[in-house]
Amino acid sequence: MEPVILEGFDIEPDSDELSRLLGRKNGEGIGAPAAAAVGKVSKALDAALEESKDLIVPKAICVTAAGADLHGSEMFTDLEKVAFCVCTIGPALEERVTVLSRDGDILAAVVLDAIGSAAAEAVARYANDRIDEVAAAEGLKTSCRASPGYGDWDVKEQKALFTLVPAGRIGVTLTANSMMVPRKSVSFAVHIAEDPVRLRSESSCRNCDMETCPYRLIE
Amino acid sequence: MKEHLGSCRQAIIDGDAEKSEELAKLTLEKGMPVLEVIDRGFVEGIREVGRLWEEGELFLPELVIGADAMKKAMAVLRPALESVEGGQDRLGHVVIGTIEGDIHDIGKTLVATMLAANGFEVTDLGADVPVAKFVETAAEKGADWIAISALLTTTMPGQKRVIERLEAKSLRGDVKVMVGGAPCSEEWASEIGADGYAGDAVAAVALVKGQTG
Repeated sequence: MEPVILEGFDIEPDSDELSRLLGRKNGEGIGAPAAAAVGKVSKALDAALEESKDLIVPKAICVTAAGADLHGSEMFTDLEKVAFCVCTIGPALEERVTVLSRDGDILAAVVLDAIGSAAAEAVARYANDRIDEVAAAEGLKTSCRASPGYGDWDVKEQKALFTLVPAGRIGVTLTANSMMVPRKSVSFAVHIAEDPVRLRSESSCRNCDMETCPYRLIE
Repeated sequence: MKEHLGSCRQAIIDGDAEKSEELAKLTLEKGMPVLEVIDRGFVEGIREVGRLWEEGELFLPELVIGADAMKKAMAVLRPALESVEGGQDRLGHVVIGTIEGDIHDIGKTLVATMLAANGFEVTDLGADVPVAKFVETAAEKGADWIAISALLTTTMPGQKRVIERLEAKSLRGDVKVMVGGAPCSEEWASEIGADGYAGDAVAAVALVKGQTG
């Protein structure tokens, strides 16, 4: 199926994700201040959120295919219809983070980097919602998202996904180690069916038994 | 003096970089003992910041602000430290970077920041650092530690290659190796023969200071 490109839409960085990335070690968010430094933190956060608006260019590209079209992967083999998608916020934000880091403004760098990650997640959510809408119009449902490198989907299969999805058209490429460039990009797949299977994924960490998975998003 | 030490400690906990810099300058102006002000003032402060982070009291930007305040104070005091007996190479030198093939940067930068804030000399090689570069730089700088970050299962083997190269160059006895990054663990560190694993910036400081376990 022809790739569908989504662009020209606005996103808000995912607040839960932002809270997780900048939050306390015990899993609590960035709520009530603990130290006198909080004025600086909220100022840095506000400034970074404002700056990020010009640095985030959300784009996504989706291909709907049979699961078996993802060559070399066993995870989707039996699934008739799967949406494979690559999303990004573009390179500008992480380039700015690199400059801030180099100049020693680590606070601004850390906060902006987290905003970038939360924004990439928001782009994925936006693309996921569009896939859900199309599926619903056909009377179908979608599974939750699975991403290479999360749960039991090996990050090496990123290459197969990129063979299927021409992500270069939205400026996303892969390194030899299956890493997406720009870094603030998300790739995922959802199963589309009347009764979709449950794919292990970031949004199903709660149901995943890999309790020591480094990318587990829940306590 | 006691009051001064308390102010230094508090300036770091408050993440007040202007204040900590001012207090550091005052230390020199008044001819106060630099080592004591660092150890019983500023370092106490950054230790408390680390403890509060460990206990979930602080959130990440607050940790960074504390480290920034500490760096400001140390920048003022470091030149004076050079002329104090026992002041040079007090804690050691850490060469840090993200392993080749991996361009994740920010976590490693945080570790470098916390190490520097705690008085270590840090050479940050950045991201996508070749194995040989870690080893050559450590040898050249006479580093005590190499800290290697890897954020992907596909790039983790590079950490092992750094250790192998150190062995091949007969440098393993001179340099300790710390690994970190989301997919790493104590088990991985032990499997590849590293000297330790650190899950975050505060743990990295504790490890290098030999306060683990």
